[in-house]
Amino acid sequence: MWWYVGKRLLQTIPVFLGATLILFILLKLRPGDPILNLAGNKPVSQEVRDALAAQYHLDDPLFVQWLQFAKNAITLNFGETFAGQPVFDLIKQTFPVTVVLAVMALAIDAILGITLGTIAGLRRNGWFDSSALVVSLLLLSVPIFVVGFVMQLVFGVKLGWVEPTVGPDWNIGKLLLPAIVLAIANFAYTIRLTRTSVAENLTADHVRTARAKGLSNGLVVRRHVLRNSLVPVVTYIGINLGSLMAGAIITETIFNIPGIGNAAYTAIQKGETSTVVAIVTFMVLVYVLMSLLVDLIYAVLDPRIRYV
Amino acid sequence: MSDIRPGQERYVAPIDETPLRAIDAVNVDAVPENQWKEAWKRLRTSVLFWLATGILLVIAAMIFFPSLFTGADPKSADLMNSFSPPSDGHPFGYTQQGADVWARTVHGARASVAVGVLTTIIVAVLGIITGAIAGFYGGIVDTLISRFSDIFFSIPLLLACIVVISVLNNTFPERGFWGSVFVVVAALSLFAWPQITRQMRGAVLEIKNLEFVDAATAIGASKMKNLRRHIVPNALAPVIVASTISLGVFIVAESSLSFLGLGLPANVVSWGNDISAAQSQVRSGQNLQVMFVPAAALAITVLGFILLGEAVREALDPKARKK
Amino acid sequence: MRLTRRTRLAGVAMIAAASLTLAACGGGSDSEGGSGGGSGDNVITVYGTNPQNPLIPTATNEVGGGDPLNNLFSGLTAYNSDGSTVNEVAESIEPNDDKTLWTVKLKPWKFTDGTDVTAESFVKAWNYGANAANKQLNNYFFYPIEGTDDNGNTLDDATEISGLKVIDPTSFTIKLKKPESDFPLRLGYSAYFPVPDAAYDSSGKITKAYGERPIGNGPYQLTKSGWERNKQIAMEPNPDYTGSHKPENKGLVFKFYAGGGTDAAYTDVQSNNLDVLDQVPPSALKTFEKDSKINAFNEAGSNFSSFTIPERLKHFSGEEGQLRRAAISMAINRKLITEKIFNNTRTPATDFTSPVLDGWTKDVPGNEVLQYNADEAKKKWAEADAISKWDGSFQLAFNNDGAGNKEFADAVTNQISTVLGIDSSPKPYPTFDELRKEVTDRTIKTAFRTGWQADYPSMLNYLGPIYATKAGSNDGDYSNKQFDNLISEASSAEGDARYDLISQAQTLLLTDLPAVPLWYQNATAATSKDLKGFEFNWQQKPDYYKLTK
Repeated sequence: MWWYVGKRLLQTIPVFLGATLILFILLKLRPGDPILNLAGNKPVSQEVRDALAAQYHLDDPLFVQWLQFAKNAITLNFGETFAGQPVFDLIKQTFPVTVVLAVMALAIDAILGITLGTIAGLRRNGWFDSSALVVSLLLLSVPIFVVGFVMQLVFGVKLGWVEPTVGPDWNIGKLLLPAIVLAIANFAYTIRLTRTSVAENLTADHVRTARAKGLSNGLVVRRHVLRNSLVPVVTYIGINLGSLMAGAIITETIFNIPGIGNAAYTAIQKGETSTVVAIVTFMVLVYVLMSLLVDLIYAVLDPRIRYV
Repeated sequence: MSDIRPGQERYVAPIDETPLRAIDAVNVDAVPENQWKEAWKRLRTSVLFWLATGILLVIAAMIFFPSLFTGADPKSADLMNSFSPPSDGHPFGYTQQGADVWARTVHGARASVAVGVLTTIIVAVLGIITGAIAGFYGGIVDTLISRFSDIFFSIPLLLACIVVISVLNNTFPERGFWGSVFVVVAALSLFAWPQITRQMRGAVLEIKNLEFVDAATAIGASKMKNLRRHIVPNALAPVIVASTISLGVFIVAESSLSFLGLGLPANVVSWGNDISAAQSQVRSGQNLQVMFVPAAALAITVLGFILLGEAVREALDPKARKK
Repeated sequence: MRLTRRTRLAGVAMIAAASLTLAACGGGSDSEGGSGGGSGDNVITVYGTNPQNPLIPTATNEVGGGDPLNNLFSGLTAYNSDGSTVNEVAESIEPNDDKTLWTVKLKPWKFTDGTDVTAESFVKAWNYGANAANKQLNNYFFYPIEGTDDNGNTLDDATEISGLKVIDPTSFTIKLKKPESDFPLRLGYSAYFPVPDAAYDSSGKITKAYGERPIGNGPYQLTKSGWERNKQIAMEPNPDYTGSHKPENKGLVFKFYAGGGTDAAYTDVQSNNLDVLDQVPPSALKTFEKDSKINAFNEAGSNFSSFTIPERLKHFSGEEGQLRRAAISMAINRKLITEKIFNNTRTPATDFTSPVLDGWTKDVPGNEVLQYNADEAKKKWAEADAISKWDGSFQLAFNNDGAGNKEFADAVTNQISTVLGIDSSPKPYPTFDELRKEVTDRTIKTAFRTGWQADYPSMLNYLGPIYATKAGSNDGDYSNKQFDNLISEASSAEGDARYDLISQAQTLLLTDLPAVPLWYQNATAATSKDLKGFEFNWQQKPDYYKLTK
């Protein structure tokens, strides 16, 4: 197994190179003018423009920029933002809060989603199943910015149960509401997936066998149904951490969370290629580690899968 | 229907599941039925299926014959009517710009469903093929496909779409309705397919170790035939469910992109545009029908597709097959 | 300054009566509640965004850094609330007869590190800003001074502006390229602030450390924590300050909002976690004046909004273009849009400047072209069609990252399409720079949103830099000799004669419509219930030093 982990970690290198290259190409193709942004859209003389372009390597050929970036990334040197802050500092500052937010959302999503999904799956087409479908659909079809605003207004401002915004001095309590908002977007998906998987496994041969052996219903569900049903659910939830972090852009804005999603979005808008790529590099890392974890959990959940 | 009661201690198969009678009744001359034909037979008797079809037919009618539902022009807007209450022929009143809410919802179906359906199809096809190959063959093929999909999937969807759409918008400045839809579909598909790949790969990995596949191999089925006939159909169930939900996610994603100013352009009537335009009404709590009507249309459409996915999945699931 | 991303929204003066009642009750009772600002300690928390540049006067060109800088530094002049100026560090600023040579004498004044503010402190800082090698972004402000090019950079890569001469430690002279009677109005702007010797390293560059922790000479100085990136900038009163903006509070904290989210900030004001938000988000425009959790402010402001139809577009040149521009202008019902879309937080424009300025009048001859008149619009459009038949679609480009832009672009194009019976639609650009790049390159093929927020309070600043031949912000490449002459005459004239010349120049613009005026954006703000002393200055900002609670 360690051999497998080592192999997978080695394989992250091409993923990292590929993802950063794609980003470099896309951001290069993006219309707009970073220097105009930098200058606040006032007239800039050619001299100043050239000097700035040189400072941020904006005029180097794409491939050179990319190689330079990859080389420096090894030593965690990502250069400076247009605002003069080392990019690595920015990441250190904004990454933790988003990771905590995304993990909280993930936990809420997993616990509620799997529990409700399992109940719905066991009592398929019953009233619980139907109402779970309707509720999860409603949540799915209302965009996150609407859910966020409404919950902030109701629980934060009107009822005063929680702090309506988070701000730079964040803690887990303050992040609870934003995490729920963020989880809602994925919640419907998790419920449906669990339900389907459970329902399907209920009719599987090994479950029949287990029942035939005379195992109690609860035991059958726990030991034979749930364990097998969780494979696709874990895949979905696990690899979602990355997109949760990016999906946090909107949540972060609504609740004023100084996180990485916002930092990335701001950098895209300003055409700060190297900042965007550096941030996404870290998201790629999170993703790669999570998907490795998912693959390992597979083996635990399903003894038939073996890694060599 | 499996009949499991809570607290039931022992399980005795109902008589109609025991094979004795079936063997008694077996018709030795019967040709084995085509799997898809069988599935269709089961679909026809499914309530779920007809409910889903009903919903989707109404949506389809909105798309192809909007004039059946409304006489108003979704694009004609008079500020004098801004947020006017419902009146005769205008059942849900007017938007802030003074356009008919109901007319916009009816006409918005086309763009929104197009985005959802096209993206889902592209993503599902790409994901199923790549996932099945990766899971089935394993080894170097698996590694290559998995890492390649990782490259796209590790870049967060929303961030990637923001960049891709501004690039495409700039490349195709003059584009009509389908051009606009294409831009959003392309951006979403480009970064969403690996999700289905992963799902499919996981399912195939699981199934290829099941006994019946070994049995098929033992009686001499070729690898390809195994994949096509036995593994893919069995692995499709979770993928179909995932796809039908993604369809909803994509329609909603278009609205999130509109919120960031990157969805379908304003001159294309779409639910996403209308929901994001109505977003500023949340704080005041007034005129909420402006948001509620397109959002409800979106929810009902997603419901239709999810139910259809559910029905198809049940029909395809060999384990759920009963005479 | 160009309209920034942070689009301001707003209408008619309506100061919430609640603040007055509260003030009348006297302090004492309102010391409870409020975690963010620490109510009762008289430190005011203010909405802000993380500065995008080092905090160096000549390097900061956006509000995130500009607002803090204006409190940390004092210039030669300082702006009163109404936009008039008072000498601050300057003892006197005297012109010669033709108003091209200005002599500045300084008061005794100190930086917060104890060193004196001298003539050299100003001249060296300006030279530094104008030298392209230093990559300063405010070079543009130095263009009126002799020895600079049109961008305000020193000529021939010189390290010094030749028009600046130090006479002795307390006086220097400024030589201008052209006569300018209201030059001292410019001198309160942040690009003209002085910088102490401590800022420079041995090679004469302003250090990085200084950009993060500037030493100023203004009403406030940074606290120990100072600028915490992506979090806040905290400042306390400068005990040695002797100028006209003596702080009445115990300090300011600019609290940053991720992604500039005014919605989150508004929520914070409602829940007493933030004292001052100087722009109300669109989602609250409808309700903020009735919101009992805040004090609301809504007054006429200094931002001017318009859209530009370049001469080079098909059907928009010569006499045909003039007719079509007038027709389009008259097809727009400004009053209805300000009412329905902006909830009266904008005021329909009647000229090209702003009602908060000295000399402004609502009766500029020829401004009936800014009145909604569907019949006249159709008539003019038909006349233009007689010259050359219209084809294609009229599109209006806007940047979608500015709040409220989409709504107005929708409304304007809807009206054009209804009244003139042509195809017309808005054309969104995701970000401001994407729009501006095409405008600057002259590759844009549609009409586009434009606007102006003045750098200093003069009507001429709304006209010269935008419509004069080859001016820096003349996005539509408008050129009219007669207009150029009137503007340059007005620059050296004074009093009513000056306003009369400006009025004549505006009448020319109303005929040609190089930009189609839309409305003046109101200044709107929301403050916490216990904040006192809020009043907009001409820049639509509060006078920070007057805030108390």
